[in-house]
Amino acid sequence: MRAHMATYGLVLGLMTQACGGAAVPHEQMTAAEASVRAADVGGAQASPQAELRLKQARDQIEEAKKSIAEGENEKAYYILLRAESDAELALALAEEESAKTQALEALKRIQKLMGEAQS
Amino acid sequence: MITLPSSSRILLAAACVSLAACATAVPPSELVDARSAYILAEEGPAQQFAPAKLDTAKKALTEAEKAFEEDPESEKTKALAYVAERKARISASAGELEKLKKKRATLDAEYVDLEHKRATMTKEELAATRARLDLAEGKAAAAEGKAAATATELAAKRAELEKEKAAREAAEGKLTAALASLKEMASVKEEARGMVITLNGAVLFATAKSELLPIAKTKLDEVAAALKAQGFKKIVIEGHTDSRGTVADNERLSLARATSVKTHLVSQGLDSVKIDAQGLASTRPVATNDTVEGRADNRRVELIVTPEK
Repeated sequence: MRAHMATYGLVLGLMTQACGGAAVPHEQMTAAEASVRAADVGGAQASPQAELRLKQARDQIEEAKKSIAEGENEKAYYILLRAESDAELALALAEEESAKTQALEALKRIQKLMGEAQS
Repeated sequence: MITLPSSSRILLAAACVSLAACATAVPPSELVDARSAYILAEEGPAQQFAPAKLDTAKKALTEAEKAFEEDPESEKTKALAYVAERKARISASAGELEKLKKKRATLDAEYVDLEHKRATMTKEELAATRARLDLAEGKAAAAEGKAAATATELAAKRAELEKEKAAREAAEGKLTAALASLKEMASVKEEARGMVITLNGAVLFATAKSELLPIAKTKLDEVAAALKAQGFKKIVIEGHTDSRGTVADNERLSLARATSVKTHLVSQGLDSVKIDAQGLASTRPVATNDTVEGRADNRRVELIVTPEK
């Protein structure tokens, strides 16, 4: 009877936890962190706008971790959604900046060539 | 007229309030931003260069709008709207990125084209420069050739002159040598009228005779050879006597002796036309006729040689 009661208690406890909130957003955490790494590797530090977004993503990941620690998994999930999108934007801005620099260099190269041709 | 029970009226009123609340719900700032961002992205190069990313942004915005419809104030709505705004910006950025990549590719192609044109131009310029250089080199070579030819001509001329000079010197040397051998019977002087070779009459002829002595002939042969080799313009042979005897005799004798010398020289190959024999008797003494030695000096034959040049 005691064993039966214990099993009942455990099931009740699990049920309570499930009903109390969402599961820990491990998958979203992984996705957000991967996006941050990608932005980092993609040269987000080279552009101020990208760096700002990357910093925001990192801060949000830290905030999400706190929320998880406090048991607020759903809140953490949405924060991580934001973090992931910020990291993605950081990468996009970094790539755009890099392309802008390269296009400018190509233009300068032509201008130099034309300048040489005229001189 | 239809009348509803009071409970139904309350439910309808609640539904109306709920609908009104939904219709007038103020969208969160995240959603407002997302909508603006999407419109901007749609108007930008994303439409042309990053349609897939723009589509992703559209789906994200639709999801956010749906969430807003379901629960305008929820965390989910705000988060999805935030994500939609980021996706819209990402699509705009991706559009710019692709546009820049294409621009860069065009610029690179243009650069290659320009460089090719320049290289072609440079090649043409090089060819032109080379042609000019070749021409200049040709001219230089021609000039060099000309100079070389001139130098060769000059060298040949110089060699010829040297040869002539050497021949003349050799002839002169020969003449000098010949005259040196005549020393005992002749003297050589350079005077204004030319080179004067004075032959002592006693050595050339017997007293009152005009035939040359054998020794005189031998010596005159050497002189003739030297004069022949050196060349001359004219030779005047003057016969001189001392003052003894009649002028007529002396003139005849002096002319006969000069002529004897001329005849001998001509017999040795000298041109007779260039040789003039004159008998001047005692008109031009070189010493006193009062002494034996003086008279001996006055009896003489002089060869006045005018050099060729």
